[in-house]
Amino acid sequence: MMMRNILVLAFNDLGIALKNKTFFLILFIPLFVFVSLNLVDRADSDSSKVKIGLIQHDAYAPEITRSVNAAEKLVEVTWVQDEKEGVRLLKEHKLDGVLSGNEKAPGSLALLVLKKDSLHTIAIVQNFSALQKAAEGSGPDWITGIKSLHQGGVQRETLPTWILMLVLLIGFIILPAQVAEEKEKKLLIALLQTPIHEVQWLIAKLILGMVLIITAVLFLHLLGKFGPVHLFDYIAFIVVGSYCFSAYGIFLGFLCRNQASARTLGVIFYLPHLLPSAMSDVSQKLTAVAPLLPSYQLYQPLQSILLEDGRMADMTFDWVYLFLLGSLMFYLSYLLMKRRWLM
Amino acid sequence: MQLEIRNLAKLYDQKRGLTPTSFEVTKGELIAIVGHNGAGKSTLLKMLANWILPDGGTVMIDGINLKNRMAVVRKVGFIPEVPNLFDFFSVEYNLKLFAALSQTPFLRVEEILSEFNLLPFRKSKVQALSKGLKQRVSIGRALLADPPVLLLDEPTSGLDFEMTREIYRLMSAMHGAGKTILFTSHRPEEIKSLATRIMLLHEGSLVFDGSPQEYFQSEIHEKLYA
Repeated sequence: MMMRNILVLAFNDLGIALKNKTFFLILFIPLFVFVSLNLVDRADSDSSKVKIGLIQHDAYAPEITRSVNAAEKLVEVTWVQDEKEGVRLLKEHKLDGVLSGNEKAPGSLALLVLKKDSLHTIAIVQNFSALQKAAEGSGPDWITGIKSLHQGGVQRETLPTWILMLVLLIGFIILPAQVAEEKEKKLLIALLQTPIHEVQWLIAKLILGMVLIITAVLFLHLLGKFGPVHLFDYIAFIVVGSYCFSAYGIFLGFLCRNQASARTLGVIFYLPHLLPSAMSDVSQKLTAVAPLLPSYQLYQPLQSILLEDGRMADMTFDWVYLFLLGSLMFYLSYLLMKRRWLM
Repeated sequence: MQLEIRNLAKLYDQKRGLTPTSFEVTKGELIAIVGHNGAGKSTLLKMLANWILPDGGTVMIDGINLKNRMAVVRKVGFIPEVPNLFDFFSVEYNLKLFAALSQTPFLRVEEILSEFNLLPFRKSKVQALSKGLKQRVSIGRALLADPPVLLLDEPTSGLDFEMTREIYRLMSAMHGAGKTILFTSHRPEEIKSLATRIMLLHEGSLVFDGSPQEYFQSEIHEKLYA
């Protein structure tokens, strides 16, 4: 009898999980991980090959160009017009590094990479050290200087990912659950029994989301003593990001009847928005997919401002995109609220 | 007429909801809407309270269309079957929140606390109260802005005899103060002495509308509640 009761209760719990869509997560998470793993560049035969950019108008020592051309199994060379084009291809992960003449040590090379302490940088240095030894036997290394696009240490390099995580956590997990809870407990409809306008309630929720996000980001900066280089540009993106993803979260909350559904839907939106942006640095394929997601329009400017001395003037499109998307979500939430959607 | 309802309808599916229904309510009436579960009583009240939007029909309150929510919101107070209060806050906070949103002076909160014998519970969290007390807070909240029309959905559902009597006493007092009241019940015998008019809903249709005397002598009452 005891066993039967346990089974009945277990089936009841499974039924609840099915009903409140928790089961979707069980299917969605492995599927998402599988797709993400397939988008991360695989360790095939080409992975040991480094992709190097050489600048057309730079004068390279003949033994260097000869060795590089001869070692086509180790090095894939792309000739770029200037350093600017090299930086662009580097950011797009089409190159692992750009080699230019080192002004401080004539005859040797300066290597420009995304991150100094990445596997790609180590592979480039190893390969060029081997080529130099094969060509000259001994002598000084060809690469005598390494510059990184990303400034700061490892802690700072991970900062854009943590900030994006905070923004999405509040936007996709906390806010939808709170909106759904107010709907589920009929608190929202009770508030609408007073002479408040729907827009006032929505703005209040938006302010809540933005305050939570800005507080969390500020707290993280205070704890880690991370200071952005361009404060105004940084604040402008945090504010518009918190606006966009708070409005997005409120909209998701309106799509759900109860908290359990809101949490499930939140996770379903949270993971895809977080991972491609956070992992785009390690995959060319993800770099191509990530810009399709709104989270990337926040992540990329944050990364640029925090690590690459980027300015808002170069990222106006991203700012406007986030603002317009937030406004669209706000409007859709308003329409659902007016229609008393699942209330 | 204080309320004019014309062809008000809401159908959730083929069987549940309310078919097009019309009636009028004059000021100061105390109307009991009776019927079995699923008859459409709550649907009717929720539409009058602007909780759910009708599929069709119109509701005029003191000559103003119900669709104009901002204009009629102060005219109607709705008390749902399950009190929808902010559980994790105190009784006083709940009342003050709604007073602030309705632009009602906080003095009115004190009056409500006193009128509804809630002064000993003013600092208590709502989640710690019994259902009867929650219902009193809920009624008090609906009366904050002093609306002329009150809608109560199963106000005594789940309450014991004493608390039921207390709620009916409060309703009589509100009626005595000139309020127009519509409330639902699936126990007609309980409201015999309370209502001035009874409306019977059956499977989403209004099948009786008259005085309590007429209702309790009618065949339909015998048929449905015998």
